[in-house]
Amino acid sequence: MEILQYALRKLLGGLPLIVGVTLVSFALMVYFGPDMTYLLLGKNPTPEQILEVRQQLGYDQPFLQRYLGFLREIVTLDFGVASTGEPVTALLAKTIPVSLILILPGFILGHVVGLLMALAAAYWRGRWLDKLIMAVAVTGMSISFLIVIIGFQIVLSSSDGLDLFPVRGWNSTSLGSYLTYVTVPTLATMFVALGYETRFYRSIIVEEMSRDHVRTARAFGLPESRIFFRNILKNCLIPIITRIMFSIPQVAIGGALLIESYFGIPGVGKATYEAIITGDQPVLKAVVSLTAILFVLVVVLTDILYRAVDPRVTIE
Amino acid sequence: MSAVALPEIPPARARGESLWRKAARKFARDRLGMVALGVVLAYFVAAVGVWLGWWAMGWPDLTGTKWEAVSGTHWFGTNIIGQDIFDRAIYSTATAFEVGLIVALVATAIGAILGGFAGFFAGTWIDEVLVWLMGVLDAIPFYLFVAAVAYALTDNPWAMHVAMISTFWVGTGRLIRGEVIKLRGMEYVEAAHSIGVPEVVIIFRHILPNTSHILLVQASVMFVGAIKAEVILSFLGLGIKDGMSWGLMIDESTKEVLAGFYNNFLAASLLMFGLVMAFNAVADALQDALDPRKVG
Amino acid sequence: MAGDAAAPVLRVRDLSVEFVTEEGVIRAVDRVSFDVQPNETLGIVGESGCGKTVTGLSILRLIPMPPGRIAGGSIELNGRDLVPLPDGEIEDIRGRDISMIFQEPMTALNPVFTIGSQMADVLCRHRDLTRRQARVVAAELLAKVNIPAPASRLDDYPHQLSGGMRQRVMIAMALSCNPQLLIADEPTTALDVTTQAQVLQQISALQAEFRMAVILVTHDLGVVAETCQRAVVMYCGSIVEAGDVASLFSQPRHPYTAGLLASIPRLRAERLAELPVIPGRVPDLLNLPAGCRFADRCPRVQERCRMERPTLAGTGTGGSLVACHYPL
Ligand SMILES: Nc1ncnc2c1ncn2[C@@H]1O[C@H](COP(=O)(O)OP(=O)(O)OP(=O)(O)O)[C@@H](O)[C@H]1O
Ligand code: SF4
Ligand SMILES: [Mg+2]
Repeated sequence: MEILQYALRKLLGGLPLIVGVTLVSFALMVYFGPDMTYLLLGKNPTPEQILEVRQQLGYDQPFLQRYLGFLREIVTLDFGVASTGEPVTALLAKTIPVSLILILPGFILGHVVGLLMALAAAYWRGRWLDKLIMAVAVTGMSISFLIVIIGFQIVLSSSDGLDLFPVRGWNSTSLGSYLTYVTVPTLATMFVALGYETRFYRSIIVEEMSRDHVRTARAFGLPESRIFFRNILKNCLIPIITRIMFSIPQVAIGGALLIESYFGIPGVGKATYEAIITGDQPVLKAVVSLTAILFVLVVVLTDILYRAVDPRVTIE
Repeated sequence: MSAVALPEIPPARARGESLWRKAARKFARDRLGMVALGVVLAYFVAAVGVWLGWWAMGWPDLTGTKWEAVSGTHWFGTNIIGQDIFDRAIYSTATAFEVGLIVALVATAIGAILGGFAGFFAGTWIDEVLVWLMGVLDAIPFYLFVAAVAYALTDNPWAMHVAMISTFWVGTGRLIRGEVIKLRGMEYVEAAHSIGVPEVVIIFRHILPNTSHILLVQASVMFVGAIKAEVILSFLGLGIKDGMSWGLMIDESTKEVLAGFYNNFLAASLLMFGLVMAFNAVADALQDALDPRKVG
Repeated sequence: MAGDAAAPVLRVRDLSVEFVTEEGVIRAVDRVSFDVQPNETLGIVGESGCGKTVTGLSILRLIPMPPGRIAGGSIELNGRDLVPLPDGEIEDIRGRDISMIFQEPMTALNPVFTIGSQMADVLCRHRDLTRRQARVVAAELLAKVNIPAPASRLDDYPHQLSGGMRQRVMIAMALSCNPQLLIADEPTTALDVTTQAQVLQQISALQAEFRMAVILVTHDLGVVAETCQRAVVMYCGSIVEAGDVASLFSQPRHPYTAGLLASIPRLRAERLAELPVIPGRVPDLLNLPAGCRFADRCPRVQERCRMERPTLAGTGTGGSLVACHYPL
C-alpha cells in the first residue's frame, strides 16, 4: 500500500518529463516534420482540395493548439490508423513482441557477460588478466555497431564465411527458426554493449573496493573472496541497477532501430524508422508517447528497486 | 594539530596551471597514450591535406573498372562503379574530423555554458528548467531523436550535426553542473561574490576555467561518439549528404559484401577503427593524467 | 625500547613501510621500533602525516599493496613474526588476536548490512558459533559498550546510529574475540567533545575488563596524558622520543616533544593568550633533508644537526629514548 502510494507520487513527478518528451517529439516529428498533404491527395489536386486536406490535418492551426490535440490523442490512446491502413494498436501489437524477443537475449547477455568480465578484471586488478580484459573492452568500444553487424554477417552468414545462419530476415514460428534468425543480431548487440558495460562495471567495483568499510572487513579477518562477492557487490547494486534500467529504453528503440533496419526484421524499431522517413504521424505519436511512458516507468521502478537494495533510501 | 599552518587557498589560475603542467608530464610518460596521440596526429595530417586540396581530390572520379583488385594505381582497389577506394577513404578521414570536431567543440561549449548556468543557479528555476531539459533529452532514445531532427531539417546539410550536438551536450552539462555546484562553495568564488563581481563574470572567469580538464576529456569522448554516430546515420540515410564518409562507404559496401567483395568495407572500417581506437586511448590517457585524485 | 616487564605482546623492530608513487618512493615509516606490554596502553603521537596510521595498519598488514610495501623490519606478536606470514594466517589473526578500530566511524561500517549481520560476520569468522548464537553474543557486546536496547539495535543499519554509537559498535566488534591487542587509530577525532571523553573512558574500562594491550594513535597530547602509560612521539616517519608518559610530559628531551607540549593549552584562561606553536612546515617525504628532519623548525639546531641524522638512543634517565644531538 505504502509502496503503491510512493509509486503513484513518483509517476506524478514524471509528468513534466512526459510533457517535455512529447513536446520535443511533437515539434520535431509533426510540426517541423514532413508535410503529408500531397501524400493524401491524388494527382493534380485543385487548390480547394489542398486546402481541405491541410485543414483536415490541422496544418492551419497554431502550434499550441496542434500540440494539445496531439496530447489529447495520446491521453485517450487514440492513435488512429497508420498510413498503411492498419490500426496503430494492431501494428504495435504485432511489432513490439518481435522486437522484444529479438533484443532481449543480446541485452541480457551484454550485461551479464560484461559484469562477469568486470568482476574478473576488478578481482585481479593490475594483473595481466585485468589488462587483457580492458584492452579487449577498449577495442570493442572502438568498433562501430554497423561494422560489428556486417562483420558478424560476413563471418557467420555469408558463403565466404561459415554460412551457418540466414543473411537477413525473420521467422519466429518455431524455436529452431527463431534461434537461427536471432543468433547473429544477438551476437552483434552483445558485442557492441560488452566493452562499455565491462568498463563501467569495473570502474564502479574498483571504486567500491577502496571504501573504508572494505578495510574494516579486512581488519576483522573476513576472507578476501567473501568481502569481494558479498560486501563489495551488494554496495555496487545501486549503480548496476541504474545502468541496466536506464539502458532499457535506449536499447528497446535505438538498438532495435538499427538492427531491424539492417536485417529487415519487422519489429517496432523498423516500423518507427519507416514512420519517421514517411512522416507517418499516428505511428510516431504512439511510439513517442510509449517511449516517454516507458522512461518514466523505468525511473519509478528504479526508485523502488533502490529501496530494496539500499537501506539508506527510504520513502519520505 | 595547531603546529601545522593551514595551506592558503591558491588563486584559480595558479591551481589550473600546476594541474595542467602535472598532467602534461604524466601524459608524456604514458607510452600508450603518446603512441595513440601520434596515430591521431597522422590521421589529422591526412585530413589537413584533403582540406588543402593536396590529395584525395580524385575521390569522385571514375578512374578504373568495377571491383579492381589492390594495385599500384589503386592501393585499396576500386568500388562497384570503378572509383578509387583509397582516395575515398582518405577523403572520408577529413569528413570524420569535420564531423567530430564541429560536434565536439559546439556540444562542449553548450554543455559548459548551460551546465555552468544550471550549477551556478542551482536551487532556482533556471536550474530546474535546465535539468528538466536534460532529462527530456535523455529520455528520448538517441537514434529516434537524431532521426527526427535529421528529418525535421531535411535537405539541410547540418541536420546531422545539429541532431548530435543537441543530444551530446547533455552529458557534459550534467558533469559541469555538478562540478560548478562544488566550486561555487569555494572561498575564492564566495570572495568574488561578496565584492560584487557580476555573476556572469564569476561563471566565465572564475568557475568554468576550473572545469577545463573535464571539458577536454568530454570533448574527446564526444569526438569519438560523433564519428561513430555518423557512420550509422549515414547508413540510415540521415547523415552526410554531400561528399564522402566512412559511413557512406560502408553503406555502399553492404551490397558488395554480399557479393564477396570486401575492399570497400575493409578500407572504411579499418581506417575508422584505427582513428576511434587511437582517440579512445588518448581520451583514457588524458583522463588518467587529469584525474585530480591521482595528480593531487 | 627497554621494557621492564617480562614478554611484550607486540615487539616491533626497525619497521619500514614504503609507498611507490608516480613522483618516487615515499618512506612513510622509517625504522620504527617499540614494544607493547600486556595490559598497557601505548600512545603514538605526532602531527598529521607523520606515519601513525601507516604504522598501525602495517601491524595487521592492511596497507594497500601495491603501492605500499613493508620494506624491512619485524612485527612479533608473542614472539611470532607477522611480516612473512602467509595471507591466510594473517587473516586468522586479524580481529581475533589483534583488532583495529578506525578514525572515521561514519564510513568504517558497511552501509548496506545491519549492525547485527556485520558483528555476526566477525563472530562466526573467528569463533565456533551459529549465526543465531552470534546474534546473542553481539547483543551482549553492544550492552558492554553501553548501547541502550542492544537487541533491537542489531537490526539497525549504520546510518540509523550516531557517530558515537557507531564507534561503540566498532569497539564492540573489536572486542568480540577477546583480542590481546587493540589498535585504536584516532578513535575519537571525528566525534564531539563529550562523546570523545565517553568513548575513551569506555576503551580504558574495557581494557581492564578484557585484559588487553592497547595502541592508541592520536594527535591529542591531552588524551595521551589521561589514558596512556607510555608513548612514542613520531615525526616524519620515525620515532623521535619514547618513554613513560609521566617523564615525557614533565621532562621532554626532544625539542619537538617540547614544542608539542608547549602548544597545548593547559588552563582555560591561557587559551586566550597566543599559543606558542612550532614554526615552519613538515618537510616533504620525497625531499627529506640529510641530517635531522626537524632541523628546519628546531630552535636548538646546530651545524652538526644538518650533517648527521641523530639516532634513537637511551638518555640514562629511566627508560626514555630520544633522537637528538642536543636534547633538552
Ligand atoms: N596509499 C598511500 N599511497 C601513498 N602514500 C601514502 C599512502 N598512505 C599513506 N601515505 C603516506 O604516508 C604518510 C603517512 O600517512 P599516515 O596516514 O600514516 O599519517 P598519520 O600520521 O596517520 O596522519 P593523520 O593524523 O592525518 O591521520 C603520508 O605522508 C602519506 O603521504
Ligand atoms: S638533532 Fe638538532 S635539529 Fe634535530 S632536534 Fe636535536 S637539536 Fe634539533
Ligand atoms: Mg591517520
